[in-house]
Amino acid sequence: MPTHAGTPLIEARGLNRVYRRPRTSLTKPGAAVHALRDVSLTIGRGERYGIVGESGSGKSTLLRLLCALDRPTSGTIAFDGQEITGRPERSLRFLRENLQIVFQDPMSSLDPRMRVRDLVAEPLVALGLPVGDRVAELLDEVGLPAAAADRYPHQFSGGQRQRIAIARALAPRPKVLVADEPVSALDVSVRGQILNLLADLVDELGLTLVFVSHDLSVVRHVCETVAVMSRGEIVETGPVDEVWAAPAHPYTRTLLQAVPTLEGLL
Amino acid sequence: MLKVEDLTVRADAVELVREVSFEIAPGERVGLIGESGSGKSLTALSLMGLLPEGVTAAGRATLDGRDLVGVPEGRLKRLRGRDLSMVFQEPMTALNPLMRIGAQVAEVMTLHGRGRQEARARALDLLERVRLPEPAHIARAYPHQLSGGQRQRVMLAIALANEPELLICDEPTTALDVTVQKQMLDLIAEVAPALLFITHDLAVVASVCERVLVMYGGRVVESGPIREVFTRPRHRYTEGLLAASKLTPRGTRLPTIKGSVPAAGHFPGGCVFRNRCPHATPECETAPALTGDGHAHACWHPAD
Repeated sequence: MPTHAGTPLIEARGLNRVYRRPRTSLTKPGAAVHALRDVSLTIGRGERYGIVGESGSGKSTLLRLLCALDRPTSGTIAFDGQEITGRPERSLRFLRENLQIVFQDPMSSLDPRMRVRDLVAEPLVALGLPVGDRVAELLDEVGLPAAAADRYPHQFSGGQRQRIAIARALAPRPKVLVADEPVSALDVSVRGQILNLLADLVDELGLTLVFVSHDLSVVRHVCETVAVMSRGEIVETGPVDEVWAAPAHPYTRTLLQAVPTLEGLL
Repeated sequence: MLKVEDLTVRADAVELVREVSFEIAPGERVGLIGESGSGKSLTALSLMGLLPEGVTAAGRATLDGRDLVGVPEGRLKRLRGRDLSMVFQEPMTALNPLMRIGAQVAEVMTLHGRGRQEARARALDLLERVRLPEPAHIARAYPHQLSGGQRQRVMLAIALANEPELLICDEPTTALDVTVQKQMLDLIAEVAPALLFITHDLAVVASVCERVLVMYGGRVVESGPIREVFTRPRHRYTEGLLAASKLTPRGTRLPTIKGSVPAAGHFPGGCVFRNRCPHATPECETAPALTGDGHAHACWHPAD
Protein backbone atom coordinates (compact mmCIF):
# COMPACT_ATOMS: atom_id res chain seq x y z
CA MET A 1 0.00 0.00 0.00
CA PRO A 2 1.43 3.41 -0.92
CA THR A 3 1.97 5.83 1.93
CA HIS A 4 1.59 9.56 1.58
CA ALA A 5 4.05 10.83 4.15
CA GLY A 6 2.96 14.43 3.84
CA THR A 7 -0.74 13.83 4.49
CA PRO A 8 -2.30 13.25 7.90
CA LEU A 9 -3.10 9.62 8.70
CA ILE A 10 -6.78 10.18 9.44
CA GLU A 11 -8.68 13.17 8.18
CA ALA A 12 -12.41 13.60 8.76
CA ARG A 13 -14.34 16.51 7.25
CA GLY A 14 -17.86 17.65 8.12
CA LEU A 15 -19.15 14.38 9.53
CA ASN A 16 -22.86 14.17 10.28
CA ARG A 17 -24.70 11.09 11.44
CA VAL A 18 -28.47 11.17 11.82
CA TYR A 19 -30.33 8.20 13.26
CA ARG A 20 -34.07 7.68 12.95
CA ARG A 21 -36.03 6.78 16.04
CA PRO A 22 -38.57 4.00 15.46
CA ARG A 23 -41.79 5.57 14.21
CA THR A 24 -44.54 6.17 16.74
CA SER A 25 -47.19 7.24 14.23
CA LEU A 26 -48.50 5.54 11.10
CA THR A 27 -48.41 8.72 9.06
CA LYS A 28 -45.17 10.36 10.17
CA PRO A 29 -41.58 9.10 10.11
CA GLY A 30 -39.76 8.61 13.43
CA ALA A 31 -37.91 11.55 14.99
CA ALA A 32 -34.37 12.25 13.82
CA VAL A 33 -31.50 12.05 16.30
CA HIS A 34 -28.39 14.02 15.38
CA ALA A 35 -25.66 11.84 16.88
CA LEU A 36 -22.88 13.80 15.17
CA ARG A 37 -22.99 17.37 13.87
CA ASP A 38 -20.34 18.67 11.52
CA VAL A 39 -17.38 16.95 13.16
CA SER A 40 -13.95 17.45 11.61
CA LEU A 41 -10.65 16.18 12.91
CA THR A 42 -7.12 15.48 11.79
CA ILE A 43 -4.92 12.81 13.33
CA GLY A 44 -1.24 12.85 12.40
CA ARG A 45 1.11 9.90 12.04
CA GLY A 46 2.36 8.71 15.42
CA GLU A 47 -0.02 11.01 17.26
CA ARG A 48 -1.80 9.95 20.46
CA TYR A 49 -5.23 11.41 20.02
CA GLY A 50 -7.78 11.34 22.83
CA ILE A 51 -11.54 11.71 22.47
CA VAL A 52 -13.38 12.63 25.68
CA GLY A 53 -17.10 12.81 26.27
CA GLU A 54 -19.95 11.56 28.42
CA SER A 55 -22.60 9.07 27.37
CA GLY A 56 -24.61 10.41 24.47
CA SER A 57 -21.86 12.80 23.40
CA GLY A 58 -21.35 10.99 20.10
CA LYS A 59 -17.90 9.60 20.84
CA SER A 60 -18.91 6.01 20.07
CA THR A 61 -20.65 7.08 16.85
CA LEU A 62 -17.52 8.94 15.78
CA LEU A 63 -15.41 5.90 16.55
CA ARG A 64 -17.66 3.62 14.51
CA LEU A 65 -17.35 5.98 11.54
CA LEU A 66 -13.55 6.22 11.83
CA CYS A 67 -13.36 2.42 11.85
CA ALA A 68 -15.81 2.18 8.91
CA LEU A 69 -18.21 0.11 10.98
CA ASP A 70 -20.95 2.61 10.11
CA ARG A 71 -21.47 5.23 7.37
CA PRO A 72 -21.86 8.96 7.91
CA THR A 73 -25.04 10.66 6.72
CA SER A 74 -22.74 13.26 5.16
CA GLY A 75 -19.07 14.11 5.30
CA THR A 76 -15.87 12.30 4.36
CA ILE A 77 -13.09 10.35 6.06
CA ALA A 78 -9.72 9.73 4.46
CA PHE A 79 -7.30 7.16 5.86
CA ASP A 80 -3.70 7.56 4.71
CA GLY A 81 -4.94 9.67 1.82
CA GLN A 82 -7.58 7.16 0.71
CA GLU A 83 -11.27 7.84 1.00
CA ILE A 84 -13.03 5.22 3.16
CA THR A 85 -16.59 6.55 3.28
CA GLY A 86 -19.10 4.79 1.08
CA ARG A 87 -16.79 1.92 0.14
CA PRO A 88 -18.08 -1.63 0.19
CA GLU A 89 -16.51 -3.93 2.80
CA ARG A 90 -14.49 -5.86 0.18
CA SER A 91 -12.48 -2.77 -0.75
CA LEU A 92 -11.74 -1.83 2.88
CA ARG A 93 -9.01 -4.41 3.32
CA PHE A 94 -6.28 -1.75 3.58
CA LEU A 95 -8.17 -0.21 6.49
CA ARG A 96 -8.80 -3.51 8.30
CA GLU A 97 -5.09 -4.34 8.08
CA ASN A 98 -3.98 -0.98 9.31
CA LEU A 99 -6.52 -0.04 11.93
CA GLN A 100 -7.45 -2.32 14.80
CA ILE A 101 -9.68 -1.85 17.84
CA VAL A 102 -9.52 -2.72 21.54
CA PHE A 103 -12.94 -2.57 23.18
CA GLN A 104 -13.97 -1.63 26.70
CA ASP A 105 -15.11 -4.97 28.03
CA PRO A 106 -12.79 -7.87 27.17
CA MET A 107 -15.35 -10.30 28.61
CA SER A 108 -17.80 -9.54 25.83
CA SER A 109 -15.32 -8.76 23.04
CA LEU A 110 -13.55 -12.15 23.23
CA ASP A 111 -15.45 -15.27 22.15
CA PRO A 112 -15.65 -17.42 25.29
CA ARG A 113 -15.51 -20.65 23.27
CA MET A 114 -12.26 -19.89 21.47
CA ARG A 115 -8.79 -20.59 22.82
CA VAL A 116 -6.45 -17.62 23.17
CA ARG A 117 -4.31 -19.00 20.31
CA ASP A 118 -7.27 -18.83 17.91
CA LEU A 119 -8.52 -15.50 19.24
CA VAL A 120 -5.15 -13.86 18.64
CA ALA A 121 -4.67 -15.53 15.24
CA GLU A 122 -8.19 -14.79 14.00
CA PRO A 123 -7.48 -11.35 12.46
CA LEU A 124 -4.54 -12.89 10.55
CA VAL A 125 -6.66 -15.78 9.30
CA ALA A 126 -9.47 -13.41 8.31
CA LEU A 127 -7.07 -11.24 6.32
CA GLY A 128 -5.31 -14.25 4.78
CA LEU A 129 -1.97 -13.41 6.40
CA PRO A 130 0.49 -16.10 7.57
CA VAL A 131 0.17 -17.02 11.26
CA GLY A 132 3.50 -18.80 11.85
CA ASP A 133 5.02 -17.94 15.26
CA ARG A 134 3.10 -14.68 15.46
CA VAL A 135 0.85 -15.78 18.35
CA ALA A 136 3.75 -16.59 20.68
CA GLU A 137 5.45 -13.36 19.65
CA LEU A 138 2.33 -11.31 20.40
CA LEU A 139 1.66 -12.94 23.76
CA ASP A 140 5.23 -12.15 24.74
CA GLU A 141 4.81 -8.54 23.61
CA VAL A 142 1.78 -8.03 25.87
CA GLY A 143 3.41 -9.78 28.82
CA LEU A 144 1.51 -13.08 28.85
CA PRO A 145 3.19 -16.50 29.20
CA ALA A 146 3.32 -18.71 26.09
CA ALA A 147 1.17 -21.27 27.92
CA ALA A 148 -1.72 -18.79 27.81
CA ALA A 149 -2.31 -19.77 24.17
CA ASP A 150 -4.02 -23.04 25.10
CA ARG A 151 -6.43 -21.53 27.60
CA TYR A 152 -9.85 -19.87 27.34
CA PRO A 153 -10.74 -16.22 28.14
CA HIS A 154 -12.64 -17.08 31.34
CA GLN A 155 -9.45 -18.50 32.86
CA PHE A 156 -7.92 -15.01 32.94
CA SER A 157 -8.48 -11.93 35.09
CA GLY A 158 -9.89 -8.72 33.60
CA GLY A 159 -6.46 -7.16 33.10
CA GLN A 160 -5.06 -10.29 31.44
CA ARG A 161 -8.10 -10.48 29.15
CA GLN A 162 -7.44 -6.91 28.07
CA ARG A 163 -3.85 -7.99 27.27
CA ILE A 164 -5.28 -10.74 25.06
CA ALA A 165 -7.52 -8.19 23.31
CA ILE A 166 -4.47 -5.96 22.71
CA ALA A 167 -2.42 -8.89 21.33
CA ARG A 168 -5.28 -9.71 18.96
CA ALA A 169 -5.52 -6.11 17.77
CA LEU A 170 -1.78 -5.95 17.11
CA ALA A 171 -1.69 -9.22 15.14
CA PRO A 172 -1.89 -7.77 11.60
CA ARG A 173 0.75 -5.12 12.47
CA PRO A 174 -1.63 -2.16 12.19
CA LYS A 175 -0.53 1.46 11.96
CA VAL A 176 -3.40 2.66 14.11
CA LEU A 177 -4.67 1.25 17.37
CA VAL A 178 -8.13 2.46 18.40
CA ALA A 179 -8.88 1.90 22.09
CA ASP A 180 -12.45 2.45 23.27
CA GLU A 181 -12.45 2.92 27.06
CA PRO A 182 -9.84 0.14 27.43
CA VAL A 183 -9.37 0.57 31.18
CA SER A 184 -12.87 1.57 32.34
CA ALA A 185 -13.82 -1.97 33.30
CA LEU A 186 -10.55 -2.67 35.15
CA ASP A 187 -9.60 -2.42 38.81
CA VAL A 188 -7.41 0.53 39.78
CA SER A 189 -4.50 -1.72 40.72
CA VAL A 190 -4.30 -3.20 37.20
CA ARG A 191 -5.31 -0.06 35.28
CA GLY A 192 -1.76 1.26 35.52
CA GLN A 193 -0.33 -1.97 34.08
CA ILE A 194 -2.51 -1.73 30.97
CA LEU A 195 -1.85 2.00 30.47
CA ASN A 196 1.90 1.40 30.82
CA LEU A 197 1.68 -1.49 28.33
CA LEU A 198 -0.22 0.63 25.80
CA ALA A 199 2.35 3.44 26.12
CA ASP A 200 5.24 0.97 25.61
CA LEU A 201 3.65 -0.66 22.57
CA VAL A 202 2.81 2.67 20.95
CA ASP A 203 6.45 3.75 21.39
CA GLU A 204 8.07 0.48 20.29
CA LEU A 205 5.84 -0.14 17.29
CA GLY A 206 5.48 3.51 16.26
CA LEU A 207 1.69 3.27 16.41
CA THR A 208 -0.86 6.02 16.06
CA LEU A 209 -3.28 5.80 18.99
CA VAL A 210 -6.90 6.91 19.07
CA PHE A 211 -7.98 6.68 22.68
CA VAL A 212 -11.59 7.17 23.72
CA SER A 213 -12.49 7.78 27.35
CA HIS A 214 -14.99 9.51 29.59
CA ASP A 215 -12.11 10.43 31.91
CA LEU A 216 -10.01 13.45 30.96
CA SER A 217 -7.35 12.57 33.55
CA VAL A 218 -6.71 9.19 31.87
CA VAL A 219 -6.50 10.91 28.47
CA ARG A 220 -4.07 13.44 29.92
CA HIS A 221 -1.77 10.61 30.95
CA VAL A 222 -1.94 8.82 27.60
CA CYS A 223 -2.42 11.39 24.83
CA GLU A 224 -0.88 14.58 23.52
CA THR A 225 -3.98 15.88 21.71
CA VAL A 226 -7.57 15.81 22.92
CA ALA A 227 -10.98 16.48 21.41
CA VAL A 228 -13.78 17.12 23.90
CA MET A 229 -17.22 16.09 22.69
CA SER A 230 -20.64 17.15 23.87
CA ARG A 231 -24.02 16.62 22.19
CA GLY A 232 -22.56 15.36 18.95
CA GLU A 233 -20.06 18.14 18.49
CA ILE A 234 -16.37 18.63 19.18
CA VAL A 235 -16.55 21.62 21.52
CA GLU A 236 -12.85 21.97 22.16
CA THR A 237 -9.67 20.49 20.75
CA GLY A 238 -5.97 21.07 21.28
CA PRO A 239 -2.87 19.88 23.14
CA VAL A 240 -4.13 18.04 26.20
CA ASP A 241 -1.89 19.95 28.63
CA GLU A 242 -3.34 23.25 27.44
CA VAL A 243 -6.93 22.03 27.60
CA TRP A 244 -6.25 20.64 31.08
CA ALA A 245 -4.61 23.82 32.38
CA ALA A 246 -6.89 26.34 30.69
CA PRO A 247 -10.12 24.85 29.35
CA ALA A 248 -11.70 27.28 26.89
CA HIS A 249 -15.19 25.82 26.57
CA PRO A 250 -17.68 25.98 29.47
CA TYR A 251 -18.48 22.27 29.04
CA THR A 252 -14.81 21.29 29.42
CA ARG A 253 -14.65 23.36 32.60
CA THR A 254 -17.75 21.62 33.98
CA LEU A 255 -16.22 18.25 33.12
CA LEU A 256 -12.95 19.07 34.86
CA GLN A 257 -14.64 20.39 37.98
CA ALA A 258 -16.95 17.40 38.23
CA VAL A 259 -14.17 14.81 38.40
CA PRO A 260 -13.28 14.23 42.06
CA THR A 261 -9.52 14.03 42.57
CA LEU A 262 -7.69 12.89 45.67
CA GLU A 263 -5.26 15.79 45.41
CA GLY A 264 -8.14 18.25 45.46
CA LEU A 265 -9.92 16.66 48.39
CA LEU A 266 -7.16 15.95 50.87
CA MET B 1 -25.75 2.32 66.17
CA LEU B 2 -24.64 -0.25 63.56
CA LYS B 3 -22.30 -2.75 65.11
CA VAL B 4 -20.70 -5.53 63.07
CA GLU B 5 -18.60 -8.17 64.82
CA ASP B 6 -16.66 -10.97 63.16
CA LEU B 7 -18.88 -11.10 60.11
CA THR B 8 -17.88 -14.05 57.93
CA VAL B 9 -19.54 -14.90 54.63
CA ARG B 10 -19.15 -18.32 53.03
CA ALA B 11 -20.17 -20.02 49.81
CA ASP B 12 -19.84 -23.73 50.60
CA ALA B 13 -16.29 -24.12 51.91
CA VAL B 14 -14.98 -20.89 50.38
CA GLU B 15 -14.65 -17.94 52.74
CA LEU B 16 -15.54 -14.78 50.84
CA VAL B 17 -15.58 -12.35 53.76
CA ARG B 18 -13.63 -13.09 56.93
CA GLU B 19 -14.03 -11.67 60.42
CA VAL B 20 -15.08 -8.18 59.42
CA SER B 21 -15.82 -5.86 62.36
CA PHE B 22 -16.77 -2.18 62.33
CA GLU B 23 -19.22 0.32 63.79
CA ILE B 24 -21.15 3.26 62.40
CA ALA B 25 -22.37 5.99 64.74
CA PRO B 26 -25.56 8.00 64.05
CA GLY B 27 -24.89 10.64 61.42
CA GLU B 28 -21.55 9.13 60.48
CA ARG B 29 -20.56 8.55 56.86
CA VAL B 30 -18.32 5.53 56.40
CA GLY B 31 -16.79 4.37 53.13
CA LEU B 32 -16.02 0.77 52.28
CA ILE B 33 -13.50 0.58 49.46
CA GLY B 34 -12.07 -2.37 47.62
CA GLU B 35 -11.57 -3.81 44.17
CA SER B 36 -13.68 -6.49 42.54
CA GLY B 37 -13.67 -9.64 44.64
CA SER B 38 -12.75 -7.85 47.86
CA GLY B 39 -16.05 -8.80 49.51
CA LYS B 40 -17.38 -5.28 49.94
CA SER B 41 -20.74 -5.89 48.27
CA LEU B 42 -21.23 -9.19 50.11
CA THR B 43 -20.64 -7.38 53.39
CA ALA B 44 -23.46 -4.97 52.55
CA LEU B 45 -25.79 -7.67 51.26
CA SER B 46 -25.35 -9.74 54.41
CA LEU B 47 -26.40 -6.72 56.51
CA MET B 48 -29.51 -6.39 54.33
CA GLY B 49 -30.21 -10.14 54.47
CA LEU B 50 -30.03 -10.26 50.68
CA LEU B 51 -27.22 -12.76 50.13
CA PRO B 52 -27.63 -14.94 47.05
CA GLU B 53 -28.72 -18.56 47.36
CA GLY B 54 -25.99 -20.81 48.74
CA VAL B 55 -24.09 -17.96 50.39
CA THR B 56 -24.36 -17.73 54.16
CA ALA B 57 -23.29 -15.20 56.76
CA ALA B 58 -22.08 -15.91 60.28
CA GLY B 59 -21.04 -13.58 63.08
CA ARG B 60 -23.00 -10.76 64.59
CA ALA B 61 -24.42 -7.51 63.26
CA THR B 62 -26.85 -5.31 65.15
CA LEU B 63 -28.68 -2.10 64.32
CA ASP B 64 -29.62 -0.37 67.57
CA GLY B 65 -29.51 -3.74 69.32
CA ARG B 66 -31.64 -5.57 66.74
CA ASP B 67 -29.92 -8.54 65.14
CA LEU B 68 -29.41 -8.50 61.36
CA VAL B 69 -27.47 -11.72 60.78
CA GLY B 70 -28.93 -15.18 61.31
CA VAL B 71 -32.47 -14.00 62.02
CA PRO B 72 -35.53 -15.35 60.18
CA GLU B 73 -36.65 -13.57 57.01
CA GLY B 74 -39.93 -12.56 58.63
CA ARG B 75 -38.16 -10.36 61.14
CA LEU B 76 -35.68 -8.93 58.64
CA LYS B 77 -38.53 -7.98 56.33
CA ARG B 78 -39.84 -5.55 58.92
CA LEU B 79 -36.45 -3.82 59.22
CA ARG B 80 -35.43 -3.79 55.59
CA GLY B 81 -36.63 -0.69 53.77
CA ARG B 82 -37.69 0.86 57.08
CA ASP B 83 -34.74 0.98 59.48
CA LEU B 84 -32.03 0.34 56.95
CA SER B 85 -32.24 0.64 53.19
CA MET B 86 -29.99 0.34 50.21
CA VAL B 87 -29.30 2.04 46.88
CA PHE B 88 -27.88 -0.33 44.26
CA GLN B 89 -25.47 0.30 41.42
CA GLU B 90 -27.76 -0.28 38.47
CA PRO B 91 -31.08 1.60 38.83
CA MET B 92 -32.45 0.12 35.60
CA THR B 93 -32.46 -3.39 37.03
CA ALA B 94 -33.42 -2.33 40.55
CA LEU B 95 -36.62 -0.55 39.49
CA ASN B 96 -39.70 -2.37 38.24
CA PRO B 97 -40.07 -1.48 34.54
CA LEU B 98 -43.85 -2.04 34.59
CA MET B 99 -44.68 0.22 37.52
CA ARG B 100 -45.01 3.99 37.54
CA ILE B 101 -42.38 5.84 39.59
CA GLY B 102 -44.86 7.29 42.08
CA ALA B 103 -46.33 3.86 42.82
CA GLN B 104 -42.86 2.37 43.38
CA VAL B 105 -41.94 5.07 45.88
CA ALA B 106 -45.31 4.69 47.63
CA GLU B 107 -45.08 0.89 47.74
CA VAL B 108 -42.19 0.84 50.21
CA MET B 109 -44.32 2.94 52.59
CA THR B 110 -47.57 0.96 52.28
CA LEU B 111 -45.53 -2.23 52.85
CA HIS B 112 -44.49 -0.82 56.21
CA GLY B 113 -48.00 0.11 57.23
CA ARG B 114 -48.67 3.59 55.93
CA GLY B 115 -52.02 4.41 54.35
CA ARG B 116 -52.34 4.52 50.56
CA GLN B 117 -53.34 8.19 50.33
CA GLU B 118 -50.64 9.34 52.69
CA ALA B 119 -47.99 7.27 50.91
CA ARG B 120 -48.94 8.74 47.52
CA ALA B 121 -48.72 12.29 48.82
CA ARG B 122 -45.45 11.62 50.60
CA ALA B 123 -43.99 10.06 47.44
CA LEU B 124 -44.27 13.45 45.73
CA ASP B 125 -42.49 15.15 48.63
CA LEU B 126 -39.70 12.59 48.44
CA LEU B 127 -39.24 13.06 44.70
CA GLU B 128 -38.93 16.75 45.37
CA ARG B 129 -36.47 16.14 48.19
CA VAL B 130 -34.10 14.27 45.85
CA ARG B 131 -34.38 17.31 43.53
CA LEU B 132 -36.25 15.75 40.65
CA PRO B 133 -37.85 18.44 38.50
CA GLU B 134 -41.67 18.37 38.30
CA PRO B 135 -42.29 15.57 40.83
CA ALA B 136 -45.93 15.17 39.77
CA HIS B 137 -44.85 14.52 36.20
CA ILE B 138 -42.04 12.13 37.21
CA ALA B 139 -44.42 10.19 39.48
CA ARG B 140 -46.54 9.27 36.46
CA ALA B 141 -43.54 8.22 34.33
CA TYR B 142 -42.08 4.73 33.91
CA PRO B 143 -38.39 4.02 34.65
CA HIS B 144 -37.39 3.83 30.95
CA GLN B 145 -38.57 7.40 30.44
CA LEU B 146 -36.00 8.73 32.89
CA SER B 147 -32.25 9.25 32.50
CA GLY B 148 -29.75 7.19 34.52
CA GLY B 149 -29.21 10.02 36.98
CA GLN B 150 -32.95 10.54 37.46
CA ARG B 151 -33.49 6.83 38.04
CA GLN B 152 -30.79 6.82 40.70
CA ARG B 153 -32.53 9.75 42.41
CA VAL B 154 -35.73 7.73 42.41
CA MET B 155 -33.83 4.85 44.06
CA LEU B 156 -32.65 7.28 46.70
CA ALA B 157 -36.20 8.55 47.26
CA ILE B 158 -37.36 4.96 47.79
CA ALA B 159 -34.49 4.30 50.19
CA LEU B 160 -35.30 7.41 52.23
CA ALA B 161 -39.10 6.90 52.22
CA ASN B 162 -39.37 5.45 55.74
CA GLU B 163 -36.71 7.68 57.31
CA PRO B 164 -34.20 4.83 57.83
CA GLU B 165 -31.48 5.03 60.45
CA LEU B 166 -28.86 3.71 58.06
CA LEU B 167 -28.49 4.10 54.32
CA ILE B 168 -26.27 1.68 52.39
CA CYS B 169 -25.12 2.74 48.93
CA ASP B 170 -23.38 0.18 46.71
CA GLU B 171 -21.51 1.94 43.88
CA PRO B 172 -24.46 4.32 43.40
CA THR B 173 -22.69 6.51 40.84
CA THR B 174 -20.54 4.03 38.92
CA ALA B 175 -23.03 3.85 36.04
CA LEU B 176 -23.44 7.64 35.87
CA ASP B 177 -21.57 10.33 33.94
CA VAL B 178 -19.13 12.39 36.00
CA THR B 179 -21.15 15.60 35.89
CA VAL B 180 -24.26 13.73 37.10
CA GLN B 181 -22.17 11.81 39.63
CA LYS B 182 -21.13 15.00 41.39
CA GLN B 183 -24.73 16.13 41.93
CA MET B 184 -25.69 12.66 43.17
CA LEU B 185 -22.78 12.50 45.64
CA ASP B 186 -23.62 15.93 47.03
CA LEU B 187 -27.23 14.85 47.45
CA ILE B 188 -26.33 11.58 49.22
CA ALA B 189 -24.00 13.35 51.63
CA GLU B 190 -26.77 15.83 52.41
CA VAL B 191 -29.71 13.48 52.98
CA ALA B 192 -28.12 10.31 54.43
CA PRO B 193 -28.95 9.74 58.13
CA ALA B 194 -25.93 7.47 58.61
CA LEU B 195 -24.14 6.08 55.60
CA LEU B 196 -22.25 2.99 54.53
CA PHE B 197 -20.88 3.90 51.12
CA ILE B 198 -19.37 1.16 48.97
CA THR B 199 -17.13 2.02 46.04
CA HIS B 200 -13.91 1.14 44.25
CA ASP B 201 -13.18 4.82 43.60
CA LEU B 202 -10.89 6.43 46.17
CA ALA B 203 -11.67 9.98 45.09
CA VAL B 204 -15.42 9.36 45.32
CA VAL B 205 -15.13 7.99 48.84
CA ALA B 206 -12.99 10.95 49.87
CA SER B 207 -15.63 13.38 48.65
CA VAL B 208 -18.48 11.77 50.61
CA CYS B 209 -17.19 10.02 53.75
CA GLU B 210 -15.38 10.86 56.96
CA ARG B 211 -14.04 7.42 57.75
CA VAL B 212 -12.97 4.57 55.50
CA LEU B 213 -12.56 0.81 55.64
CA VAL B 214 -10.21 -0.70 53.06
CA MET B 215 -11.10 -4.27 52.07
CA TYR B 216 -8.96 -6.77 50.20
CA GLY B 217 -9.46 -10.50 49.84
CA GLY B 218 -12.53 -10.48 52.10
CA ARG B 219 -10.83 -8.74 55.02
CA VAL B 220 -10.62 -5.22 56.31
CA VAL B 221 -6.90 -4.49 55.96
CA GLU B 222 -6.96 -0.87 57.11
CA SER B 223 -9.45 1.56 58.63
CA GLY B 224 -9.48 5.08 59.96
CA PRO B 225 -10.31 8.71 59.20
CA ILE B 226 -10.15 9.32 55.42
CA ARG B 227 -7.53 12.02 55.57
CA GLU B 228 -5.29 9.90 57.82
CA VAL B 229 -5.60 6.74 55.73
CA PHE B 230 -5.21 8.47 52.38
CA THR B 231 -2.30 10.69 53.32
CA ARG B 232 -0.45 8.27 55.63
CA PRO B 233 -1.48 4.75 54.56
CA ARG B 234 -0.01 1.99 56.72
CA HIS B 235 -1.07 -1.21 54.95
CA ARG B 236 0.97 -1.96 51.83
CA TYR B 237 -2.17 -2.63 49.81
CA THR B 238 -3.65 0.79 50.62
CA GLU B 239 -0.30 2.33 49.83
CA GLY B 240 -0.17 0.60 46.43
CA LEU B 241 -3.79 1.41 45.63
CA LEU B 242 -3.28 5.11 46.37
CA ALA B 243 -0.13 5.23 44.24
CA ALA B 244 -1.86 3.39 41.38
CA SER B 245 -4.82 5.74 41.34
CA LYS B 246 -2.76 8.89 40.84
CA LEU B 247 -2.52 9.57 37.12
CA THR B 248 0.77 11.28 36.41
CA PRO B 249 1.37 13.41 33.30
CA ARG B 250 2.23 11.78 29.98
CA GLY B 251 5.60 10.15 29.46
CA THR B 252 5.91 8.94 33.05
CA ARG B 253 5.42 5.37 34.26
CA LEU B 254 2.36 4.71 36.37
CA PRO B 255 3.07 2.97 39.65
CA THR B 256 1.38 -0.44 39.70
CA ILE B 257 0.68 -3.32 42.04
CA LYS B 258 2.16 -6.47 40.53
CA GLY B 259 -0.07 -9.34 39.46
CA SER B 260 -3.84 -9.20 39.67
CA VAL B 261 -6.60 -9.69 42.23
CA PRO B 262 -6.93 -13.50 42.70
CA ALA B 263 -10.29 -15.17 42.14
CA ALA B 264 -12.47 -15.88 45.20
CA GLY B 265 -10.98 -18.67 47.29
CA HIS B 266 -7.52 -18.28 45.73
CA PHE B 267 -6.14 -15.64 48.05
CA PRO B 268 -3.04 -16.81 49.95
CA GLY B 269 -3.31 -17.95 53.56
CA GLY B 270 -1.89 -15.61 56.20
CA CYS B 271 -1.82 -12.04 54.95
CA VAL B 272 -4.14 -11.99 51.92
CA PHE B 273 -1.96 -9.46 50.09
CA ARG B 274 1.38 -11.22 50.53
CA ASN B 275 1.63 -12.71 47.01
CA ARG B 276 1.47 -9.20 45.52
CA CYS B 277 3.30 -7.33 48.26
CA PRO B 278 6.85 -6.07 47.66
CA HIS B 279 7.55 -6.20 51.43
CA ALA B 280 6.33 -9.74 52.15
CA THR B 281 8.49 -11.99 54.34
CA PRO B 282 7.91 -15.51 55.80
CA GLU B 283 6.31 -13.78 58.79
CA CYS B 284 3.38 -12.84 56.52
CA GLU B 285 2.31 -16.51 56.33
CA THR B 286 0.64 -15.85 59.68
CA ALA B 287 -2.42 -13.63 59.35
CA PRO B 288 -1.86 -10.20 60.94
CA ALA B 289 -4.67 -8.87 63.15
CA LEU B 290 -6.29 -5.49 62.54
CA THR B 291 -4.70 -3.43 65.30
CA GLY B 292 -4.56 0.23 66.23
CA ASP B 293 -6.90 2.71 67.79
CA GLY B 294 -8.68 5.01 65.34
CA HIS B 295 -6.33 4.35 62.45
CA ALA B 296 -5.95 0.55 62.36
CA HIS B 297 -4.08 -1.73 59.97
CA ALA B 298 -3.46 -5.44 59.52
CA CYS B 299 0.12 -5.65 58.29
CA TRP B 300 3.40 -7.04 59.64
CA HIS B 301 5.50 -4.53 57.74
CA PRO B 302 3.47 -1.33 57.68
CA ALA B 303 4.57 1.85 55.94
CA ASP B 304 5.61 4.70 58.23
